[in-house]
Amino acid sequence: MIELKNVSFAYVSEDVLRNVNLAFGPGVTAIIGPNGSGKTTLLKLAAAIYRPRVGEVLIDGVNPWSASETVKLLARRNVVYVHEKPIMLRGSVADNVAYGLRVRNVPAEEVAARTEEVLELLGIKHLAHEKAQTLSAGQQQKVALARALAVRPKNLLLDEPTANLDKNGWETFIELIKELVREGVCIAIATHDRLLAMRLADRIALVENKIVTFVESPEHTG
Amino acid sequence: MWQEVAEVVMRSLFISGTATVLATSWSIPIAMIITAKESEFRRALLDVANALVAIPTVIIGLVLYLLFSRSGPLGFFGILYTPIAIAIGQAVLITPLIISLSASVLRETRSGIWEMAVSIGATERQALVTMVAESFPKLLTTILLGFNRTIGELGVALMLGGNIKGFTRVMTTVIALEVSKGEFEFALTLAGILLLVTFAVTAIVRKASKTA
Repeated sequence: MIELKNVSFAYVSEDVLRNVNLAFGPGVTAIIGPNGSGKTTLLKLAAAIYRPRVGEVLIDGVNPWSASETVKLLARRNVVYVHEKPIMLRGSVADNVAYGLRVRNVPAEEVAARTEEVLELLGIKHLAHEKAQTLSAGQQQKVALARALAVRPKNLLLDEPTANLDKNGWETFIELIKELVREGVCIAIATHDRLLAMRLADRIALVENKIVTFVESPEHTG
Repeated sequence: MWQEVAEVVMRSLFISGTATVLATSWSIPIAMIITAKESEFRRALLDVANALVAIPTVIIGLVLYLLFSRSGPLGFFGILYTPIAIAIGQAVLITPLIISLSASVLRETRSGIWEMAVSIGATERQALVTMVAESFPKLLTTILLGFNRTIGELGVALMLGGNIKGFTRVMTTVIALEVSKGEFEFALTLAGILLLVTFAVTAIVRKASKTA
């Protein structure tokens, strides 16, 4: 579970988000709002990629910004943020998926097994040896998701995860998220896709005019 | 004559290659430090590097001449008018260029690769290494620009090398000498070879960065 307490954030001088109080989890939190409203910033704050100007971010009760480097790393490893535009490393799809396991020094046999498992789960096993940077946007989105799932995160933050998916991919994604929720993964999804939010969200956070309004039940958002 | 030309070409490649290796060995780590975290000091460091990119070679030549001359603070090394002095001078010359361009390349990848790496569980050091590895083809191009600057440079080679025949004479100093003697044909031949060498090195590096 990730909590943001009285968080404000500015890229330069003016706040992009102001006095945010929000908890991601359990289940799915959908983050909606217009372009440029700060949805991505909110997720990057929750993933401890950005440091809040004021306030604190707690990942499973730990504030990574006031912890030692070791504790900060452990806290960060409980969260994975997946970019809207998938970031692909040079090398094969399998290399990309294995990256998070390799930086954790997971033994090679386990890396191979878990890589194969998630590639199968997302239906992209046949792409394992393809160069990741040459794939289509939709395929890259699946690879980025596979890379995130391979490390079995407790908290998964997804930025516009269905932006490049076709109808089948969209349905598969919905089922996958439901399965992850059943396994106890806490998920936050920034999206413009209202249908996705309605189908999956246990609660909705509306980001607008630097303020985050929290709605416990999606039905209330219209 | 051709034996002398071959010697001069090989010497030029050796000196410029050494200068490029030296400059790269400290410039890339400095660029990594600059881009690792935002701070006023790091921004100031980059501003200084950017400002020094266009520094005239004669200024570097003059400063290093004073340092390496017999009565200078580094005179005890006895390296003035040696290929080592030229290599050091050229390395100093291209340091701001490599820092500036590498920092720009690394900054480009920071928002994507670095964030992804940290988010998936890499330590900051692992993320930095990934960033450099992913930027390798572009970094290779910045190093190539540095090499091309050194091989076509005259001021440092002349002031720190002294254009000593068979010892510190490089392509650019020979061209300058031949022009001053009115030997335009020989100067033009060497100029053609200099261009050919530059194109060949560029082609090799381009190929290497594609396969990397």
